Amino acid sequence: MIGDVANAIRDVFSKETAFTFAVGILLIGLVVSYLVWRWTHRFFERMDINDAVEGTSFERTAQGMGTSTAGIIGSMLAAFAYILALIIAFNVAQISDTALFWARVANYLPRLFIALVAIIVGLLAGEKGQLLVQERLQSIKLPEAAIIPVLVKYSIYYIAGLISLAQLGVATAALLVLLGAYAFGLVFLGGLAFRDLLAGAAAGVYLLLHEPYSIGDEVRIEETRGIVQEVDMFVTHVETDGEEYIIPNQQILRDGVVRIRD
Amino acid sequence: MTGLGDLLDELVADIDALLLFSQDGSAFETFNEPDVSTVVVAKENTVDADEFVELPLDFTDVGGRIRFGIEGALGQELITEDDEVVCLTRSFEENDVDTIIRIRADEFTQTGVYSLFTNSRPDADVVRDVLEVAIELGKKGQKGKPVGALFVVGDAGKVMNKSRPLSYNPFEKSHVHVGDPIVNVMLKEFSRLDGAFVISDSGKIVSAYRYLEPAAEGVDIPKGLGARHMAAGAITRDTNAIAVVLSESDGMVRAFKAGDIVLELDPEEY
Repeated sequence: MIGDVANAIRDVFSKETAFTFAVGILLIGLVVSYLVWRWTHRFFERMDINDAVEGTSFERTAQGMGTSTAGIIGSMLAAFAYILALIIAFNVAQISDTALFWARVANYLPRLFIALVAIIVGLLAGEKGQLLVQERLQSIKLPEAAIIPVLVKYSIYYIAGLISLAQLGVATAALLVLLGAYAFGLVFLGGLAFRDLLAGAAAGVYLLLHEPYSIGDEVRIEETRGIVQEVDMFVTHVETDGEEYIIPNQQILRDGVVRIRD
Repeated sequence: MTGLGDLLDELVADIDALLLFSQDGSAFETFNEPDVSTVVVAKENTVDADEFVELPLDFTDVGGRIRFGIEGALGQELITEDDEVVCLTRSFEENDVDTIIRIRADEFTQTGVYSLFTNSRPDADVVRDVLEVAIELGKKGQKGKPVGALFVVGDAGKVMNKSRPLSYNPFEKSHVHVGDPIVNVMLKEFSRLDGAFVISDSGKIVSAYRYLEPAAEGVDIPKGLGARHMAAGAITRDTNAIAVVLSESDGMVRAFKAGDIVLELDPEEY
């Protein structure tokens, strides 16, 4: 495509003009890349991305190198714009005969760029995800729970890596299968493990919305007779003479309830 | 100053335990000695002390705070009844630790204020949330006017069977829990309704507008308190619930358990 534009320009103008044109394109590229760089910074500021990524290790590393996430992405975009301008200029001036090579590079560049962006976004999102899950799990004082945020982080890293590798044209089929197996395991085993809880919650939604019985009612569920003390998402507490039965909601919905009125 | 120093030495001589009412890490480091057990009494165990009593409320009154700390330490068997205990606490807002009190652990007759939180049917958090609502209601009143309220917390099934509705239950088919800021506003608005609030073990507001009908025989509350307190005493005697009462006449918040007043707070001090 770039080659076509270059040919068209060379057809219209003389060789010397084409060279001047190329220099002009270089200058324009310089300005455009600077504008892109500025625009990225402003965009980051406006979208509050700077605040969002603050404190992640990627941002820290970037800051250690005297720049920031906005700076890195801005520089990348600027470099991208400039290289593009360079290639067009080269093509126009026909300085290089290996036009085919450059055209290929030009086609390859966007993909490289997307791959880099995918990695950066993945690193940031992974860390953010880990933090988010960590905050959620803060109330659970269980050492084993600490593995979940880490798992979340590396899952996001893995997906980001996969996207960028696919962009670069590396064969990712095997990795994709691995991801599929992982997701399947998560859904399938999760569903298996939480089957009772999910069923209980589904029944609990009905029981809480329609309140066929409420706290204080005397009920009989199977052989258990007593006063309802508590209904929550998963279980119903029924108490009789100092014995409190905790009955899963799905069992109540399946077996039915007898409300005792007298 | 040797006289003063001697007095302090005397105060802390031969003690069995130290109750530290502060979650300041450096204070804990300073006082944590191997031969005297140091019990931290605070809202949160930020210093990772092995011996820790959770303080559910900011007791402004030093006596109440120490009473709670000692009952808590006794309840967890961190100290025994004939231990000599030194309490380090604060009496004034601006200080961290400014008061040293030496006391025998059995000095107080146990009021059960600690077991009100830990050994009651409702969760400790629920008890605390209800007390906080009552305190806030007592402080501000309902639209500036003093107001009374009665919260019956826990054993809701039995309480519901020992009471009847005075009118439609505004909390019917709602699933709200105390401690939620919005719900606290709702509770304050509904406090103009007559009757009691019934709250379940987990903090769900089951009903407002309940007329309590417990058997009131044998309930002994101080003379001068009204029907609301009598009802609270009776319902806690008759069921395993606890009750939190905000008095309309003297503005005090009182907590009842098993028919007795276990805690009395002045909302103005909080």
